[in-house]
Amino acid sequence: MSAATTGAVPEVPAGSLVRKIAWHWRYDEKRELWIGWWTLVVFYNLYGLLFFVIARTQPPPPPSLAPAEIVRWFDDRRYGLLCGYAIVSIVGGATAIMNATLAYTMRRMSVSRAFAYSYLVIYALATLPGMLIMGVACTVGAMRPERDPELVSWLYDFAFLSFEGTMGVFLVGSLVWMVAVLLDKNRVFPKWFGYLNLCNALTEVVVAPAWIFKRGVFAWDGAIAWWINMAVFVTYTAVFLTLLRKMIVREDFGTGPLPELESDRALEPAGTLGAAR
Amino acid sequence: MRRADGELIFLWTLPALGLIWLSAFLLFPGFVQPMSPAMSAEEVAAFYRDPENLARIRYSMILFNWFAVGLIPILALIVLQIRRMAHRTPIFSYAIIACAAGGPTIFLMANLFWLLAAFRPERDPQQTLMFNDLAWVTFSSQVGFLIAQSVILALAIYLDRQERPVFRPWVAHFNLVVAVLLIPAAFVGLALEGPIAWDGLLSFWVRNIAIGLWIVVMGVVLGQAITRQRAEGEAMAT
Repeated sequence: MSAATTGAVPEVPAGSLVRKIAWHWRYDEKRELWIGWWTLVVFYNLYGLLFFVIARTQPPPPPSLAPAEIVRWFDDRRYGLLCGYAIVSIVGGATAIMNATLAYTMRRMSVSRAFAYSYLVIYALATLPGMLIMGVACTVGAMRPERDPELVSWLYDFAFLSFEGTMGVFLVGSLVWMVAVLLDKNRVFPKWFGYLNLCNALTEVVVAPAWIFKRGVFAWDGAIAWWINMAVFVTYTAVFLTLLRKMIVREDFGTGPLPELESDRALEPAGTLGAAR
Repeated sequence: MRRADGELIFLWTLPALGLIWLSAFLLFPGFVQPMSPAMSAEEVAAFYRDPENLARIRYSMILFNWFAVGLIPILALIVLQIRRMAHRTPIFSYAIIACAAGGPTIFLMANLFWLLAAFRPERDPQQTLMFNDLAWVTFSSQVGFLIAQSVILALAIYLDRQERPVFRPWVAHFNLVVAVLLIPAAFVGLALEGPIAWDGLLSFWVRNIAIGLWIVVMGVVLGQAITRQRAEGEAMAT
């Protein structure tokens, strides 16, 4: 076998970040999980930057704009859209390793592998309506400023409704994760995270009126369809990134319950721990 | 003699698929000399209305529609080889499964837009232009899953630390080079002329040759890995 498993493992070097990363690359048994976790962290931040700052498609503009105003909206951010969504299409595939890492959390649970596989395929599919179709529609909308405004208006709807109006993948995906967390006996995630998944799933239910209303709280830029959704999604993402990090630290590559962290064990009454084992 | 498990059938679909893709590529009049994004709406409409072009557009795109997903069985074989690697988790094989679902779907979307443009060539030229733009932008710029596929495969190979790794390290280096060559195509929206435009050197020729080369090289090394795996299996059985 490799040196990593048989030889003596040196201490994590102090100082330079590059040497630390090199150490983890060579010796850290959990490197695959850490690659997944760091990809999640880096890309969620990058997506925030791309959608909010570079492409400036978030927060979304109102659906009620007239075609001439939509043409102006595209003109205002032409290069932001073209460059922003080019970067989105380069890094978009990173969702594959991100979703694979999240699917692994279900694989580590005491539930059937059907959960991990369902989650993986649902979220692989979700990348298209959730992000890439919007990129194509915005790129086509921005690349020819002289295009017929009626068609630009259709591209605008295509972009925002594919992004916000594709609900099922996130709805069912969150429910799959919820059921897995609630059934799990390996204590991969706390039970309350199961219910947080339900909150995320419900945001996909309340967004449905965005297909019907062009103004007000239910429209795609409204308080319900966008602001509440975004608040829940950001909380949900921050929470699962934190919980995932903790899970990786606790991971023992076994099949039984994950060991608790020393710091958490001190907080828990001895009785409940013993009972759980 | 071991029982047929069908893996070799999957593997030998690759040369057939390569031949079909190449024929469809040559049949589509917009690829042999790639259509320029600088064409006006009237020129694009005339391209689709030309009776000789129209038949070739439809037949080539129907071929692509049939076989766009044809690479999935090969990706499934790659997934099986990743599972033989010395990893602690199935994350890399899961990630390739996710790429296998994403990439072909994008190719199919581009294919639908081309077929839609060709379905009613008498449509207002502005609409034909839009479908043509949607097809070309989807086809050219959506390289994310292909890049991810190569990068994930490279990572999996680098971290396959055993005496006889499934793939040699140069396969990982090769995948990283392919990933880099695919990057410029993402920027097709920025230029209607030059190397970045969808008919340009980087976005069309470099990108598509890199994809073709990836298919050939991965087909060969995959074939070798499967042959070796089988030989080892038989040696153990006797």
